[in-house]
Amino acid sequence: MSEPLIDIKNVSKEFGGGLFSRLAPFKAVSDISLSVARNQTMGIVGESGSGKSTLLRMVLRLIQPTSGEITINGQNVWALKGGQLKAFRRQVQPVFQNPASSFNPRHSIQSILTAPLEVHGIGTPAERRDRAVELLERVGLDPAMRHRLPHQFSGGQKQRIAIARAVILGPTVVLADEPTSALDVSVQAQVLKLFSDIKDDLGLTTIFVSHNLAVIRQVSDRVAVMQHGRLVEEGPVDDIFDNPGNDYTRNLIAAVPDPAFARRNRAGTAVHPVSPA
Amino acid sequence: MTLDINWRRWRLVAFGGFIVSAILFVAIFANVVAPYSPYDLDVANMLAPPSGAHLLGTDELGRDVLSRVIYAARISMMVAVLASMVGLIFGTIIGSVAAYFGGWVDMVLMRFMEVLFSFPAILLAVVLMAALGTSVVNSMIAIGIIFIPGFARLARAAAIDVLRKQYVESARAVGMSNTRILVREILPNIFAPLLVEAAVAFSYAVLLESALSFLGLGAQPPEPSWGNMLNVGRGFMANAAWLSLAPGMAIFLTVLGFNTLGDGLRDAFDPHLRD
Amino acid sequence: MQDIRKHAQGAAGPTLSIRNLTVSFAGRRQLVQAVKNVSLDIWPGEIVGIIGESGSGKTMTALSAIRLLPHKAQVEGTIHLGERDVLSYTEKQMRALRGDRIAMIPQDAMQSLNPSMRIGRQVGEPIELHRKDSASRIKTRVRELLASVKIGDTDQRMQEYPHQFSGGMQQRAMIAMGLALDPELIIADEPTTALDVTVQAEVLRLLREIRDNTGTSIAFITHELGIVAELCDWVYVMNKGEVVEQGCVDQIFNDPQADYTRMLLDATPSIHGPRDEVPNV
Repeated sequence: MSEPLIDIKNVSKEFGGGLFSRLAPFKAVSDISLSVARNQTMGIVGESGSGKSTLLRMVLRLIQPTSGEITINGQNVWALKGGQLKAFRRQVQPVFQNPASSFNPRHSIQSILTAPLEVHGIGTPAERRDRAVELLERVGLDPAMRHRLPHQFSGGQKQRIAIARAVILGPTVVLADEPTSALDVSVQAQVLKLFSDIKDDLGLTTIFVSHNLAVIRQVSDRVAVMQHGRLVEEGPVDDIFDNPGNDYTRNLIAAVPDPAFARRNRAGTAVHPVSPA
Repeated sequence: MTLDINWRRWRLVAFGGFIVSAILFVAIFANVVAPYSPYDLDVANMLAPPSGAHLLGTDELGRDVLSRVIYAARISMMVAVLASMVGLIFGTIIGSVAAYFGGWVDMVLMRFMEVLFSFPAILLAVVLMAALGTSVVNSMIAIGIIFIPGFARLARAAAIDVLRKQYVESARAVGMSNTRILVREILPNIFAPLLVEAAVAFSYAVLLESALSFLGLGAQPPEPSWGNMLNVGRGFMANAAWLSLAPGMAIFLTVLGFNTLGDGLRDAFDPHLRD
Repeated sequence: MQDIRKHAQGAAGPTLSIRNLTVSFAGRRQLVQAVKNVSLDIWPGEIVGIIGESGSGKTMTALSAIRLLPHKAQVEGTIHLGERDVLSYTEKQMRALRGDRIAMIPQDAMQSLNPSMRIGRQVGEPIELHRKDSASRIKTRVRELLASVKIGDTDQRMQEYPHQFSGGMQQRAMIAMGLALDPELIIADEPTTALDVTVQAEVLRLLREIRDNTGTSIAFITHELGIVAELCDWVYVMNKGEVVEQGCVDQIFNDPQADYTRMLLDATPSIHGPRDEVPNV
């Protein structure tokens, strides 16, 4: 393993429990340490309430950790100021889950794609437009559609646009939060393919959060399993899936309904009443 | 396309819009539309009933009632437009800032709004007028202030809804400034419900302005306003009912027009009613 | 194939029989067909999966069996629930069937439970509606029902409100409500989509158990191949309003005939890694 690009050290996040709150603080993430090597994909898997999305948002600098330290490329994410913070925003980009709320419904796709460039003062308007066109082509959409509004695109197309927006600033790190959960399986397969192609082309380091173990297995190099805000186990994806070292992981894997089930176990077992046998 | 409108609901909008634009037209071109000057006395023709020469009769000083009603529309519309604008602009700013920054900013702003909201509107208007002094401009400001909490609450609720959308998080993640997020991502998406509220506030402003000038706090005689005309007409109810009926009908029509327009817009903007 | 199912069942006839069902909606220009000439059978005691992606017409097909389609829908074909010709029924007759002979388990239990009514009362509601039982007998039955869906501590739980239940418990309560009057058919519309996998596994096991114990038929609508593989006896694969393939689970997964089914199988990521690593039987 090469040197870690993203390093999460003893990070915790508590919600609530302020000075005037009568409720005990809720520990969404407790004492997590993880590191992601350059050009690797770390899959984070867990059920609802496992804290996986909160962790991702802390790395994105959207939610501040209660304690612990997150460094990317040796820089403490939460200590960044001014120019460094601006550089961080160019370097680290998200892809979110919900295609329906990922885009401002009143802006055209072109305006959505060029806004990050505008914010960072990159290029002339013509250059920005060219870059948007180029990226739309890269994610497999017709650039002629760039004047349309988000609602005129299907869920899968919207996630393609979300990927284009995430890479338009030339980031080194892309953090994805359930990017394909709202999609049909056939569309999901295409978007996952696009995601890993782009990741390879641009040499991205990524964290991929999902509740779907099969998707995690497909896209990740290493996987971290989370439950109730804690890290249950972490390791190379094949090791964890084939030889889970922990009861929770074992149960999680066993619970996944798997199409291969029919091929391996059901064929010829004749347990159900309508079996031709 | 900037606003998603369900044109199936256009009939209400068209009906309300027609009344509203007719009234606005009359108000703007009062000097052309009105048959007489609203101030010209005709001592020979005091309290004359409606006739061919004076369609709505004359008042106690022989002034043409129709012309006075038409000129009064000017004041009512001006007050209503500007008061709604004051409410809309300040309410939207306060509400969206409260929603966006949350925490103590939200707490302080919204508690203050609730204090304003807890007074009966007309009482608050009278108190504000007493503090500001009696004039048309001040009645505009007073009515505008009354509207701020309503707009602020609506803007806050709508903004909180928008804040949950992932595009706001994405905007933060590319490093957009707070002002830019408010202006580019949030305001355009809370505009529709606020516009509807503005149309309804408008008709309420007409009523409030009439109430204030009825109480002698708004437009001052001889300047005509529907409120002060009603007040004068009150004394002649028995023998010259047209003096109060004319401004009364004008108020009724205006309120009907704006409410219908507001309802129509509400339906047109409502995604749940959209096909 | 049909013969095999019938023979194995040894039953007089299917619980639900849909023939040449077409559901269409008047669009701006032309009639849009959401379901095209669909025929399907569900035999007594069978769990039948209806699988498809969004827009496949799977939900429309199931909803037409319980006659809960939007009013604008134009329905052609025949639907028989046992001997009953469902499409000829009046709305009043249908109301008598719903919740009694056919039950529906929805996708989102939280949305379907009344937040201000105690669980005990809600689960007993179908009985209250359809039978004139005494309050104490209803209560006894509700206790039984909750126990049968593995909700323990029943007396305490009956007094609670939906928000005090976890997602999985809410879905169990919905299932208990569906079972209240021993329906002939349960229509489950993606009932586990909103649940975590471990909870989903429990709910699926429960549904299978219920079928084994009560012999009720279950129509299970889903977009997940994995669920069909583990739960169902017979499968209808739908795409764009049409049934593209039907068969027993083994056949659909081991020897799919339709291109669409093959595409769906290929597109579904497997927890066992890339597909070529899956041991073929």
